[in-house]
Amino acid sequence: MDARLRRVNKEITDCKNDKSSNIRIELVGDSPFHLKGSFPGPQETPYEGGNFDVDIVIPDSYPFQPVKMKFITKVYHPNISSASGAICLDILKDAWSPVLTLKSTMISLQSLLCSPEPNDPQDAEVAKHYMTSKASFEETARYWTEIYAGGPGSKAGKGVSIGVRDEVAIAGLDPQHVTRFESLGFPRGQVIDVLRRLNYRGANVPKITDDRIVEELLKA
Amino acid sequence: MSSDYEYSDDDGDYYDDEEMIDGTQDDLSGASEDDMDMDVYGGDDFKVTPKGKRKSYEVDYDSLSQSAVEKLVKEDVDYICSICGVDESVASLLLRHMKWNKERLVEKYMDNPTSLLVAAGVTAPEPTTTSAQSRTRSIDGSASRRSTRGATRILALGGSKTKSPTTSPPLSHYTPRSFKPKSDEPFVCPICFDDSSDLRTLALDCEHTFCSGCWNAYLVSKIRDEGEHSVKCMAEGCALVCPDPFIRTVLVPAPGAPIGDPTQEEDNRKAWSHFQELLVRHYVASNKRLKFCPYPGCTNTVSCPSAADKSSLTTIVPTVSCGARGIGGQMTQSQSQSGWGLTGKEHKFCFGCHIESDHRPVVCSVARMWLKKCRDDSETANWIKSNTKECSQCQSTIEKNGGCNHMTCKKCKHEFCWVCMGPWSEHGTAWYSCNRYDEKAGVDARDAQSRSRASLERYLHYYNRWANHEQSAKLSLDLYAKTEKKMEDMQITSSLTWIEVQFMKKAVEEVERCRMTLKWTYSMAYYLAKGNEKDLFEDNQRDLEKAVEDLSELLEGPIEPENIPMLRQKVTDKTVYVQKRNEIVLEDTAKGFLEGRWKWNASVEGFDEPERTEY
Ligand SMILES: [Zn+2]
Ligand SMILES: [Zn+2]
Ligand SMILES: [Zn+2]
Ligand SMILES: [Zn+2]
Ligand SMILES: [Zn+2]
Ligand SMILES: [Zn+2]
Repeated sequence: MDARLRRVNKEITDCKNDKSSNIRIELVGDSPFHLKGSFPGPQETPYEGGNFDVDIVIPDSYPFQPVKMKFITKVYHPNISSASGAICLDILKDAWSPVLTLKSTMISLQSLLCSPEPNDPQDAEVAKHYMTSKASFEETARYWTEIYAGGPGSKAGKGVSIGVRDEVAIAGLDPQHVTRFESLGFPRGQVIDVLRRLNYRGANVPKITDDRIVEELLKA
Repeated sequence: MSSDYEYSDDDGDYYDDEEMIDGTQDDLSGASEDDMDMDVYGGDDFKVTPKGKRKSYEVDYDSLSQSAVEKLVKEDVDYICSICGVDESVASLLLRHMKWNKERLVEKYMDNPTSLLVAAGVTAPEPTTTSAQSRTRSIDGSASRRSTRGATRILALGGSKTKSPTTSPPLSHYTPRSFKPKSDEPFVCPICFDDSSDLRTLALDCEHTFCSGCWNAYLVSKIRDEGEHSVKCMAEGCALVCPDPFIRTVLVPAPGAPIGDPTQEEDNRKAWSHFQELLVRHYVASNKRLKFCPYPGCTNTVSCPSAADKSSLTTIVPTVSCGARGIGGQMTQSQSQSGWGLTGKEHKFCFGCHIESDHRPVVCSVARMWLKKCRDDSETANWIKSNTKECSQCQSTIEKNGGCNHMTCKKCKHEFCWVCMGPWSEHGTAWYSCNRYDEKAGVDARDAQSRSRASLERYLHYYNRWANHEQSAKLSLDLYAKTEKKMEDMQITSSLTWIEVQFMKKAVEEVERCRMTLKWTYSMAYYLAKGNEKDLFEDNQRDLEKAVEDLSELLEGPIEPENIPMLRQKVTDKTVYVQKRNEIVLEDTAKGFLEGRWKWNASVEGFDEPERTEY
């Protein structure tokens, strides 16, 4: 049997048999080379209570070349693209070693959620948010966990359960700021867009003049 | 006179410099060459450089085969072996780590051998070692003995008893021996999970053990897919680099070894030869005096010390050739031309840039600037912007012609004001009565527009001529084919032999070469500051251009069998003349660069800022 197939099959079986870890791997279709992995968000992080799905593609030269992974579940994290789910993690690139497995890589993803690395960001806007105001960042990440990863809030019914998503909370902005510029006559979506782009949060707020924001709003 | 021509050279290169002079002088007496005017370019300019001596538009260079570069590599390796007391494979890893800077390497090694050996992936870091210890040890040489452990372990693994690697041929064959971990538990490869009892296993000095099949697949993937010459151990976080003998052990079957899977063997063979090429490429890339031939599939290197320093690129155009010809399977290592077109194409390239294989006579920075300008094509866009507008009624594009702002759309006859786009009926009879228009701004706008137009016209003048020669040179493959046909016909309709009809081929080649020169002279002229030097440059350019067009016309015209001897004479004469005109342009331009004679109308990288920007 093909060595790659033998190894992948063994990895899938090992993962199934291992009841102690909470990493799950399942086939997407018939091919063992396209998989879906999932794991719970780590405790004491904004991701706690969520379930995160990862798309896994095994390249032809696996395990000598790294496995390709990206988040299917939307995640608010400096090293994960908020739009595409692409992950910035060294072991998925040049620090890959053939002894790493799908399971150990998934565990690394789990610990990436515990310890963001904003200096090497995948998503620059999220990283800026993280650096400007960690509390506000965590609130937004928690909200994303609730609405996208089935986090605890969704069951507690904090007003988001009926599917009404708060665009302001998704963007990690202060509703009062949004309302203020909205009242000048700019569309809400545009205000959210500009404030998010300018990172209008925490200590940054006094640094950005209203004129600057209006200028950006007029450009949009 | 034509009968005096002897085509004795069988390599086809019969226009020797001496013959060129003879030919020209002989033909001056004949009435056939009426364009010749010795006074224009004077007797002195006509002096042809003797054979063998370098012309001012040429640079000295050597071409090296892969094995010649491997010899240079070996010299460096041997040097490090003798200075640092390490074996060859260690020396090679150290050199690669230090980008082949021997002096820095020795300096660093003497300062702290341990840290260098760790950084180069030769030995694993030892947590107990302090820098103070290693520094004291570096003096008595014990550290270097320690340091070779990494490599000697591999030699031992291969079962070689050789103590002094410099006396044995490099990369001699090592018979791999199974490396069994200390524990008695059966070995399971941590990568493929194979636990067969006859599994062959291998490890570097770190003792991270894997089966040979996994090592094999890993090395092939790293070398072939990633072009990596410093391949790290497969264990996570382990920084040891596989030494060359280890890679050879894995990829090259030992003599007499059982024949394996043929596909695998072929992959291994290719990976091993690619690995050796990667080492040579790394060596060449680390040395400013060397460049790897950019032609696909070629492994030659050119050495050009005079162009190693970037500042030299304002005085010379380092056009070089690796010595080989052709591409892919049809490549030959010989200098002599084997055919026409691509199959016999010389591996010519510029040592200073990647712009084009031969952009003489202009220096790299001017050629680069010009190409960027052509690419951006911004002035054309500006022109369209400032000279055309859409009719406010039917949206068809209208070009402004002349200064009148009273526009009438050709299509819908709508009359409007160019300035405000409003209907003309609201304006009265003169454009300046446009009531929504500031007169001062209008004058400025018109000035700016005419300035932009003039600058565009200037650019287009040079660009069109540049593009025309480029286009013609591209069509030369066509011309080659047509000429070949004519040469065949000629041999049938006249008494000329194959060797005697070669003048046609020679002429076509000369035309192509000169068109390349001409093409680049237009980029040069575009940036040359107005003045006497530019006038002289353009005189030479004009003379060459006229000569080339004359010869071109002659080559493309019909051939009457009865006129062949006359045609041959005419073509031969004109070829010689064109060649001379080309020499003059190349020589004079190159001399101008050497003397710093050329002044620019724009700021050019590497040159002084222009004093004035007059065109
Ligand atoms: Zn294995
Ligand atoms: Zn290792
Ligand atoms: Zn070449
Ligand atoms: Zn160049
Ligand atoms: Zn119209
Ligand atoms: Zn008007």
